[in-house]
Amino acid sequence: MKQRWFNAFALMVVLTLVAAACGDDSDAGTEGQETTAAPATTAAPATTAAPATTAAGTTAAPAIAGTIRIGAAVSETGKYAREGKDTRQGYNLWADWVNEEYGGVNIGGDRYEVEIVMYDDEGDPDTAANLVEKLITEDQVDFLLGPYSSGLTMSTSAIAEKYGVVMVEGNGASETIFERGFKNIFAVLTPAGNYTQSALKLLSDQGAKTVVVAYEDTAFPTSVANGALKWAEEYGMEVLGVETYPKDVADVSAIMTKFRDMEPDVFVGGGHFNDALLFVRAAKELNFTPDAMVITVGPSNPKFVEEVGTDANYILGPTQWEGTMSWEDNWFGTAEDYYNRYSDKWGEAPTYQAAESTATALALMAAIEQAGTLDMDAVRQALFDLDIMTFYGPINFDDTGKNAAKPMGAIQIQDGVINVVAPVEAAVTDLQFPMAPWTAR
Amino acid sequence: MDQFLQAVINGIMLGGFYAAMMLGFSVIWGVMGVINLAHGEFIMVGAYATWVLNKEFGWEPFYALAVVLPLMFVVGYIIQLVLINRIVDQPHLVSLLVTFGLAIIIANAMKLAYSADPRLTETGFAGAWELGNVTVPVTKTVILGVALVIMGSLWAFLHRTKTGKSIRAAAQNKQAARIVGIDIKKIYALTFGICIAITGAAGTLISPTQAVFPFMGPPLTLRAFAITALAGLGSIPGALMGGMVLGLVESLIGIYVSGIGTNLAIVSAFVLLVVVLVTRPQGLFGGLRPMEEAQPL
Repeated sequence: MKQRWFNAFALMVVLTLVAAACGDDSDAGTEGQETTAAPATTAAPATTAAPATTAAGTTAAPAIAGTIRIGAAVSETGKYAREGKDTRQGYNLWADWVNEEYGGVNIGGDRYEVEIVMYDDEGDPDTAANLVEKLITEDQVDFLLGPYSSGLTMSTSAIAEKYGVVMVEGNGASETIFERGFKNIFAVLTPAGNYTQSALKLLSDQGAKTVVVAYEDTAFPTSVANGALKWAEEYGMEVLGVETYPKDVADVSAIMTKFRDMEPDVFVGGGHFNDALLFVRAAKELNFTPDAMVITVGPSNPKFVEEVGTDANYILGPTQWEGTMSWEDNWFGTAEDYYNRYSDKWGEAPTYQAAESTATALALMAAIEQAGTLDMDAVRQALFDLDIMTFYGPINFDDTGKNAAKPMGAIQIQDGVINVVAPVEAAVTDLQFPMAPWTAR
Repeated sequence: MDQFLQAVINGIMLGGFYAAMMLGFSVIWGVMGVINLAHGEFIMVGAYATWVLNKEFGWEPFYALAVVLPLMFVVGYIIQLVLINRIVDQPHLVSLLVTFGLAIIIANAMKLAYSADPRLTETGFAGAWELGNVTVPVTKTVILGVALVIMGSLWAFLHRTKTGKSIRAAAQNKQAARIVGIDIKKIYALTFGICIAITGAAGTLISPTQAVFPFMGPPLTLRAFAITALAGLGSIPGALMGGMVLGLVESLIGIYVSGIGTNLAIVSAFVLLVVVLVTRPQGLFGGLRPMEEAQPL
């Protein structure tokens, strides 16, 4: 009897540990499953796409001198499965374009095909770090592309730094990534601290005086929130309350109740896609109606409007990129050209996460071409020296690897349409302010 | 005071949902000693079924229960017959591994079928009642109501019907139940079917207020586990109280501790769990059987 009791108890402890260790990703069992995206010219294990694409590669006019292998750990399962899909599609679009249209990366006149080796990191920083180590030591990739989310970029970039392998990323915006003195991490996107700048400036110009901020206590939302506090102060707005919540949050009612009683002009929510849905539903349920809501990641994604319908109207969101912006390059053409190309290929509109993923790979390619070699030190130097314009915006890395050149935009959902409202140069419509009550949509 | 009342209302709403959500987990464990690690995944499947009916056919999510309950019952019945009955007499570890595998399969199958995009259903029971300065959200009130009806029905079924009594008999003493002519395999399949039906219904309830996505399951399984340990195996009053305790703790700490309240609430829920496990390992309320006899054969 005692023994049995003990067994049951011990099992429960083990179970709790397993569940806790796996967190929200414990169902993801596809670790190590290879999903090679680019035409697999080398001995890449197990892809169904291989036979068809080998033929396509040979149709390009110049002879192919070799293959550049690029590794990435990107979420296919776990909390970031949605954003990870955007990231994969962005990378794959670039790889297919290089191999099938561009004719290969031009290194001193020789043309190289590209192959992206991708693994599922399950949204877990430790798994991602292990996979990147495997990419470097076992798969012996030439360069790395980043994972989705700041937290995963933090952990994987440490491995890249340890082995001195260049990692270019477009989905880790937290400033903390660049405060460690690393020499191998380069990010094409605007850093997280600047996410809310143009939205808050616009709102303060409209007369908004008070702000509340809620954010997930992980790397990226923390940077966004710290930035929001800084910009609010800069534009003379008073911060009434700041709340954090964990990654697996189930209910934000408590936070929204507290904020409702503070009667702020502006609500700033820092988190990922799910959190944006939670914020909107909780605000509506509790009848919390600030004059404006600024929420990261969700609103700029067309899926957001699909899910919350008319409740999405009036909500503001920072955006790294939109198809209506006026950027243009010699590779993909205008932002609109990229938008159309992506939509044709994947059957859905590109999110900014997808666009910045393509831009990430494009920046690496431009640096390799400028270096004229695959030598790691030369490519690293070429990245530091890089100063190019792309469909995604200007790219010019500073000493820490951040892209200091690109401004951040703000969008507002207006009658179900995502419109750029800031900065003024890129705006397509005026801000709708203040927000209408939830019942009057 | 208003804030306190609001916190209590939020907590009761959340607690009612937690109670209905964990019931299936608790009864399956209580009756057959199987710890169903795929519990959260069955909630997720129920939520997706609701979402499909809502988005494709325009059904009111709560009316989708008419489809979700029988559908999930059949799913549960079949899974018990082909899978769980084979492992029910084996050590705990076997059922842990099998249901863990099941969780992975279900989550990834749903990802293939519906992608990883988070979904929400649209309910007509929206808006809020204002009572003074306190807001009572309509959707969550309906959720609480349905949750209570589900719990009441299950209690009545287990205590008032012959089949229900057979289930409790099988839980208390499998050998004796067999001797008096109860078909254990059939009773187990029935139990699993009913529990999965309730679990799927919890998915329906959650779908208008929380994002539905393939990997939403594990945090729910973890909470179900915590409440079961608080409440005792298969105890319905215990489930209600345990759910309310967790809901109120999360809500009150979330409101009254500034800055990190929501984080701390979840930590404190598990601190509570540890305290209960150490001081009262049979749970606060007892149940279908004491926890130390969870593996009787």
